[in-house]
Amino acid sequence: MKKFQKVLSLALAFGMCVSMFAGCGSGSDDKGGSSSAADKTESSAAQSDSNEESTPPAENNDEWITLRVEMYDRSIAGFNVEDCWQLHYIQENFGDPNHIKVEWVPVSRWEEGTILNTQLAGGTAPDICMTYGGDLVQQYVDMGGIYALDGMLDEYAPDLKAFLGDNVLEYGQFDVGNGKEQFALPARRIIVATQVNYIRKDWLEKLNMEVPTNVDELYEYLKAAKEQNLGGEKTIPYASDLYSADPFYGWIYQMDAFIDYSQVTEEDWVAHHDFHYLLPGAKEAIRWMNKFFNEGLVTDYFGIENSDQTKSDRVNGYDGFWMGNWDAAWRMEDSFQIDLEKNVEGASYIACDAFKPDSEDKPHETYTAAGQYIFIPASVPEETAIAALKYLNWMCQPESLFALQNGEEGHNYTTVDENGIPTDLKNVDDTEDAYKLHATDGAPICNGFYYGSDELNFAASANAYPGYTDEVAHSLEISNTFGYEPISFTRTIQARVDYGTTVISKEAELLVQTVTCKPEEFDAKWDEYMNALLTSGGQQIIDEQREAYKEGAYRGSYPMAE
Amino acid sequence: MVKQASSKGTKRKKGLYWLRRDWRLYAMLAVPILWYVIFCYKPMAGLIIAFQKYNIFTGIKGSKFIGLENFEFVFGMRDFGIALRNTLWLNFLDLLFGFPVPIILAILLNEMRMLKLKKVSQTLLYLPHFLSWVIIGGMVLEIFAPTSGAINALLLKWGLVESNVPFLTNGAWWTFTYVLVGVWQGMGWGTILYLAAITGLDTTLFEAAQIDGANKLQQIWHVTLPGIRSTIVVLLVMNIGRMMSIGFDRPFIIGNTLVQDTCDVISTFVYRAGIQNNQFARATAIGLFQSVVGLILITVANSVSRLFDEQGIW
Repeated sequence: MKKFQKVLSLALAFGMCVSMFAGCGSGSDDKGGSSSAADKTESSAAQSDSNEESTPPAENNDEWITLRVEMYDRSIAGFNVEDCWQLHYIQENFGDPNHIKVEWVPVSRWEEGTILNTQLAGGTAPDICMTYGGDLVQQYVDMGGIYALDGMLDEYAPDLKAFLGDNVLEYGQFDVGNGKEQFALPARRIIVATQVNYIRKDWLEKLNMEVPTNVDELYEYLKAAKEQNLGGEKTIPYASDLYSADPFYGWIYQMDAFIDYSQVTEEDWVAHHDFHYLLPGAKEAIRWMNKFFNEGLVTDYFGIENSDQTKSDRVNGYDGFWMGNWDAAWRMEDSFQIDLEKNVEGASYIACDAFKPDSEDKPHETYTAAGQYIFIPASVPEETAIAALKYLNWMCQPESLFALQNGEEGHNYTTVDENGIPTDLKNVDDTEDAYKLHATDGAPICNGFYYGSDELNFAASANAYPGYTDEVAHSLEISNTFGYEPISFTRTIQARVDYGTTVISKEAELLVQTVTCKPEEFDAKWDEYMNALLTSGGQQIIDEQREAYKEGAYRGSYPMAE
Repeated sequence: MVKQASSKGTKRKKGLYWLRRDWRLYAMLAVPILWYVIFCYKPMAGLIIAFQKYNIFTGIKGSKFIGLENFEFVFGMRDFGIALRNTLWLNFLDLLFGFPVPIILAILLNEMRMLKLKKVSQTLLYLPHFLSWVIIGGMVLEIFAPTSGAINALLLKWGLVESNVPFLTNGAWWTFTYVLVGVWQGMGWGTILYLAAITGLDTTLFEAAQIDGANKLQQIWHVTLPGIRSTIVVLLVMNIGRMMSIGFDRPFIIGNTLVQDTCDVISTFVYRAGIQNNQFARATAIGLFQSVVGLILITVANSVSRLFDEQGIW
């Protein structure tokens, strides 16, 4: 019996040890990951060395360099980031001739910021990193974590420089005390359009109304839709819910329409970047919304984020009016229009601009010409950084870019039209696994399909929504009309780093409280929550942005300048 | 007497003797100790970033020491006070309503005579504990949302209320919903320890009480409750020690912008002002502050319980 106990206890202790070390292993995943990545690099380098020996020796006896490139993993079924058509194409056409072994490092699209942070802190980040987080890049620049590219672009990436252009490149320039320097390479954004209003075309026809062009006409439409219950019992004339990550994102369109531009100077414009609700007149846009809400014309769960409910309301045909991105109604992966047609016969959405109070043109904010940021960590050795620039430079050659974005004829599309645009680009789900690709991720220097000119690019974009080409083109036109690029800053606005997220949460409160309160309380609520917003750091941000204006440390300009 | 003698005996033997005799037990103990050292104590060194201007590229060694600047900044933020107040208030309500429920429930379960029903109800009561807050959040929306939520829809249909009951959109109502959902989620799981304690009670005590003519209620009051008193005290002390810390999921998921001033607690504040902003040093500073206050609270609660001649947790 004693012996049995001994054996048992030993076995137990052993078992615990094993399970603990198993825990250890997964706990220190980072280190394990990095060492195995290093192993891989070495072994692949060794492999390519041996390749070199077996093939006839190249004239220059260059060592092979391994270039690790961050690549978003969007969990597309059948698409293996580390072994895909685009990567093979790159290796064959760029890597092999230049003695560079290109590796793609998969990073989950939805956690990219967190993963990037961890990798940079642990020194395991890829040689080419990318992120949509502009603030993140600026913080990295301030901490000295990003490779300064000044001078190197001219030497190693002249085509890239030409492709991006000065306007886009400027968004990657930051001032850390030695004047503006190029740290990041922003992607060139092909379509800068952001939002439009969507309205039910069939409802307008039933009501015998024209597409509203100002808020009074919109009000008439909403009221009539409610009175006649055009969407049934659950009619929501104006569907709107909160986007708490950036509460005023869907509102800038309305607010800009109400601003009294005669009272705004360029200095105010820059200082109030992201604070348009403080510009004279903008408040009236929210007052209208308060009126709509109190008359039961707006989603009654306004203020509670409930995207599932929002989506089902929309495709079930309850919604009469909403704000969305220029292609939101027709997006392939989540097409409201297609689902709506299935549920309600003859129902359709069209884009409009319902906020033009004085029937004059009002500016629309667009995206900046710069898309996501590409950068090289400061810890990367010089020769790898050069290889990285060569890689990006190669990528923007028309031939390479076309291949990376469109794939291979016969597999990803049948043929091209007279403008060189593929006639029937396949959806990733319909493509054979071996040819699956993600256009924007594979060629990160370009956000959107590029066919040589704006005209062709826009036409090609509309083509991507088969069956709705005209509607999409119309929407794009509305969204692009009198567009202006938002202001951005070339130095860190420290107050934004300190208080930015707090102010965003106060914005959400301001918006929700002022929209849902009684009309007679509107002004009091506005003052109360505005005060909270300003004292939570909002005023500091505005003041610092005003300073930045005086220093000239900003990009963009006042769209209504005489 | 016996106990004393043996403890005297222990003193005479040298430490090494016990180590040699029970080395297998110590070997087994070493594993969890090692685990604690590696995963709980070693990372504590990282607390130093609370006093640094932390730079992720240069790491802990290369970051500048700035004293209490991070603390000053955080304490000076307008929302910090609100978050602190809400944390304490919500935790207090949780303690007030959430603490007694498992005790009552355990006693009720214990008195159940139909074994099958007892087992089934026990399982059903545990179930919510295993649900993720994300799922519970979805259920809460379905049940409590204005107009479309189950309760409001019914009340409106039956004409019991004229307008929506603002379960999620009014501060006081939201607090009610928050506590209710929390109690519901945790009560079943909370009964486990009490049930174990009740099972451990000497059955002869109940028999004696019965012979003395005590009815069920009297038995519960004079035998069961005193019997599990030490368990109750230990759990109470531990709960008080946790007054300063609050889970992230529950307030974050059940909360919404309309009740921001009620639902913003320290954990959501840290997430917003620290993690989301990449201000890791400030987040660490708040975490350290929370831990220190938690330590003070638990020490005080423990001493108080010892004053009342209870065992406490150490």
